[in-house]
Amino acid sequence: MTDVSTLSPRDVHSAVMDVAALLRRVIEGDQRAWDELVEGFGGLVWSVARGYRLGSLTDDVVQTVWLRLAENCDRIREPDRLAAWLATTTRNEALRVANKQKRLVSVGDLPEHVDATVSGIDELVTDSDTLSHVLQAFAKLSDTDQQLLRLLCTVPPLDYATIADLIDRPIGSIGPSRERCLKKLRRLLGTGFHDATEAHARGKEESQ
Amino acid sequence: MSDVPTPGNNREYLSDDALADLLGQALHTVDRMPEHVAAGARAAFTWRTIDTELAELVFDSASGLVGVRSDDVDRQVTFRAPGVEIEVVVIEEGRRRLVGQLVPPSVATIELVGGDDVRSVQTDRLGRFTFDDLPPGPVRLAVLDADGGSTVQTDWVLF
Repeated sequence: MTDVSTLSPRDVHSAVMDVAALLRRVIEGDQRAWDELVEGFGGLVWSVARGYRLGSLTDDVVQTVWLRLAENCDRIREPDRLAAWLATTTRNEALRVANKQKRLVSVGDLPEHVDATVSGIDELVTDSDTLSHVLQAFAKLSDTDQQLLRLLCTVPPLDYATIADLIDRPIGSIGPSRERCLKKLRRLLGTGFHDATEAHARGKEESQ
Repeated sequence: MSDVPTPGNNREYLSDDALADLLGQALHTVDRMPEHVAAGARAAFTWRTIDTELAELVFDSASGLVGVRSDDVDRQVTFRAPGVEIEVVVIEEGRRRLVGQLVPPSVATIELVGGDDVRSVQTDRLGRFTFDDLPPGPVRLAVLDADGGSTVQTDWVLF
């Protein structure tokens, strides 16, 4: 048995999830297995959908993806690729909604549900100074930079080939783009941030 | 920017991986899937089609890549199951009206499911049908036989 306390959240995910077994139980009609899938992959679908700034329509996109999986779970040939299947399905649905919003905007009919804020992140608050600093800096990045970083931070993680496919860029560009985005983020965080991260780390130790 | 920790100076450096982990932690802390969305995702399982032919989405006018847009706002989709196609157009004129056609034409009852909303209409002699005021969120259509059982159900679509 693996000691999960020493693993990162990503490793924990792969250590405890047997997707093929879960899918088999889902196909047999086991609602609890389905709930486990939602628990395990819900954050991934949400993160990918949130990268498209669809406002309240994010909920509809996510719901459509889960309905699609429920309908097509017996057609998932490669359970190991479920994360990629979900991410791609989410991307496709989100793009359809985004394209429609653009068309409506282009004929002068501004939909009500477009995010009023830069990223939606601005409104979100957290008790931790460190995390809120990171989010404030993140919100200042361009949409494409934010989207890439979101895709790189999912649990379970997406491989570079899937990420490249999702944002329609060459696979070889993902590593360098990650480096560039993180450099920008580090610059936006500026001075004084490092001290805050140390304080945050100390706080975490004390609370354990 | 000389005060930013870098590998070149003496201050401890926050590596790319550490920064990415911190960002991931921050995003997961403040921007997690809301509970009502999770509840919807869990409930999605109860809508599974069992013992009914699934009509798959085979054409969608809105599935173009980013930047590709048609001047026509009306969304057109086609579903296909063995022996039947269901062609659908959604017309946006304030209200959203769904107009459909069975191919080949046949007379049947068509059911529209969306959220908690279930409605049905009869096709005309040419297999045409209309639903006014499409509900928000994902919807699906079912073709019902004379006994009211569904013979074909479409995949879910977000119009």
